[in-house]
Amino acid sequence: MSENDSEILCMQDIVKEFSGTRVLDLVDFDVHSGEVHALIGENGAGKSTLMNVLAGRFDDYRGRIRFDGRDVRICNPRQGRDMGIAVIYQELSVLPNFTVAENIMLGDEKARHWIRKMDRASISAGASRAIEYLRFDLDPDEPVSRLSKARQCLVEIAGAVRRNVKLLVFDEPTASLGSEDIDKLFQVIKDLRDKGLAIVYISHRLGELPLIADRVTVLRDGKVVGTKNISECEISDLTRMMLGHDLGEIFPEKKNHPGKTILKINSLSSPGVFENISFELHEGEILGIAGLVGSGRTEIVRAIFGTAKACGEVEFRGKPIPVRSPHQCRSLGIGMVPENRKLEGNITGRPVCENLNISILERLAGAFGFQSPRRLVNRAQCMIERMSVDPPDLKMEIQSLSGGNQQKVVVGRWLAADSNVIIFDEPTQGIDVGTKAQMYRLIMDLACEGKAIILISSELIEISKLADRILIIRNGRLVREMPGTETNEDELFAECAGKDKG
Amino acid sequence: MSKDANKPGAGGTRKTLSFKKLQQASILILLAVLCAFASFRSPTFFSWTNLVDNLLTNAAALGIIAIGMTFVMIAGGFDLSVASNTAVCSVVLVLTMDGLSSYGTVVAISAALLLTAMVGIGLGAINGVLIARVGVNPFVVTLSTMLVFRGIALILTRGGQAKQVADIALRNKFSWIYDAQIPIFGQSYQISMPIVIFLLVFGIGTYLLRFTRFGHYIFAIGGNEEAAWLAGVNTHRIKMITYVLCGLTCAIAAAIFLAMTATAQAESHMGKELDVIASVIVGGTPLGGGSGGLTATLTGVLLLRVIDNLLTQFSVGAEYRKVVTGLIIVIVVTVDVLAKKRSRK
Repeated sequence: MSENDSEILCMQDIVKEFSGTRVLDLVDFDVHSGEVHALIGENGAGKSTLMNVLAGRFDDYRGRIRFDGRDVRICNPRQGRDMGIAVIYQELSVLPNFTVAENIMLGDEKARHWIRKMDRASISAGASRAIEYLRFDLDPDEPVSRLSKARQCLVEIAGAVRRNVKLLVFDEPTASLGSEDIDKLFQVIKDLRDKGLAIVYISHRLGELPLIADRVTVLRDGKVVGTKNISECEISDLTRMMLGHDLGEIFPEKKNHPGKTILKINSLSSPGVFENISFELHEGEILGIAGLVGSGRTEIVRAIFGTAKACGEVEFRGKPIPVRSPHQCRSLGIGMVPENRKLEGNITGRPVCENLNISILERLAGAFGFQSPRRLVNRAQCMIERMSVDPPDLKMEIQSLSGGNQQKVVVGRWLAADSNVIIFDEPTQGIDVGTKAQMYRLIMDLACEGKAIILISSELIEISKLADRILIIRNGRLVREMPGTETNEDELFAECAGKDKG
Repeated sequence: MSKDANKPGAGGTRKTLSFKKLQQASILILLAVLCAFASFRSPTFFSWTNLVDNLLTNAAALGIIAIGMTFVMIAGGFDLSVASNTAVCSVVLVLTMDGLSSYGTVVAISAALLLTAMVGIGLGAINGVLIARVGVNPFVVTLSTMLVFRGIALILTRGGQAKQVADIALRNKFSWIYDAQIPIFGQSYQISMPIVIFLLVFGIGTYLLRFTRFGHYIFAIGGNEEAAWLAGVNTHRIKMITYVLCGLTCAIAAAIFLAMTATAQAESHMGKELDVIASVIVGGTPLGGGSGGLTATLTGVLLLRVIDNLLTQFSVGAEYRKVVTGLIIVIVVTVDVLAKKRSRK
């Protein structure tokens, strides 16, 4: 019975439709105080929508919500906030131009009237109290724009806790954090749970659930598949519940054969970011680059692709590339799938077809630059089939696709451009396990076709399973090169973090 | 609590970016260099008449609008309709004073000023509703209202005739707003009424922006509107108020302009909205908002005025003045962009 007493949130028969499509179909979900309840599901399963209902983003949902012993209807974010619900989104919503204290206290500045003098001392005091209570290592007067992403996340947590939240939702908090920060965040979440908060934890990384969650609810296609205690289930059970079928081995068998050198990097340096990086890349090879977030791994590939400045030489098939730019790289046949899919990967608001063809428009052009619509569509149709983009609708605007399918479109673009070298920067960030498996198979297939692949990932298991060779980057230096076959995740992490920590 | 932490530069400009301070300083230095150069070439530059009467008094009206514009722009907005709004206000001012002249000067002037203020606020509110409540892009909204307001001014003057207050006593009385001199160091050092009004608006504006919750939220909205909204800030209302305040400053400026010229013309101040926006940007409030402030805007206004004044003193033609002003804006903003790029590395 005591479990029922601590029930803080009970959502029943929640239905939410977007222009006729049911995104949530009679969902039941409940959370108790002092527990971490994980919410998992594939992209588009309705996790974020469910939490947006809770945060008050929609006013047209159906169903009953009981929060803290009262029946409530949450129609705007302010209501949710006043009740004691806070959502920490993946794209953090902090104010970069404000200090830590001002961010923490936002919305609760004391003044007798909006036009009367605001009490600045109470802002500092309130923020300091919250920081002390949580034992966070934050300076209240520091501008938020100077903090790392992990610490910005702490600022948001402090802001929520300061408002006496009873329920805290984390929407994929670890997606863009390095391993070390993830450990710290987990500790913070556990502390919050022990202080009696109810926590909802949304994640794609099934592996981290046993470390953090008490119970787990699985959503599929807008319906609840089941709720279980984490101690009673295996990860493979969860995968089956998420997908509706067995996944099988997610990592494909290695069957590619590295050939001759295609890309040669000679002492590439960018002061303060990375130094003296040299390596070779072979045809048909998957080269993994492992390092902590902030170690300079992304900057290195960006320098190769020409989107960041660096000195040093890059040789393509034995010939140096004098001026590197994305344009130049494309014509040589080097493609990059960038880290930030939303901002850098696709052109939001344009259909799938255009996004697929954008790199090859010049080549497809006929006389006087005339673009034959039929040729564009045919070309895109080919790609969409090859990449099994779902739904296979060329006219759909890119942002209506799920994250995984958007990523397929980015990859498809470089395949369409006949790239021989493809750089993948965090290709599986924020995509579900089913699509991840497809992405791994695709990368392996490309390598088998003789394409050279550079793979960067924070999920070290991907690198250890896929890469033929692995470069370890630590603090902007190439510290070690190791063969991919003889290592595992833990060993890689120890290498990335530095031996003293491993 | 140390004094420093309480010091404004409200909501984040305080410590946030030291290069921002550098940029601010560089504009001040540019201003000082220009003044030094001016006084070297022309002994009359530093005379009280030139500095106060020509330079500051002329800058006051547009400076007041720039204050309203700063509020709008820190919150990430934009207002192209200010010049048209000012034209409507001055026409309304003349028409009501004319209409009420039989009730005596005091009644006529105060009623007319009140009505004009309401018109300025009302026109600003139209922008505010469309932008803040409905969510239309500020550029589109104020570009359209710029045309609409100008049209209204033309309709009110029956196609653009210059309007003058018929009653000469009333007209003379009203010109007090421009002509009155307030002695500060005896009779030889006086400041004019427009400067007094400017300082008053500047003071009130600074208080609102730096010390009130309202001002704090303006910076919050400019920094990340979504986050401010999610934190429970009534972003719609705050944005709405910035446009209303901007409209009010247009009405105040209209009164000063009318007192100066005694005639209202529907086609007056055309293109001045760009001067206003330019001085705000040159001062250091970026397009997109989130930082900046009134001191910044003041330096921006002064810089552009001093340059204009200098070029006039050397009898450089208006066409070159435009070129120089344009170049200054580009240079200042380019330096800002480069500095930001460098600081990011």
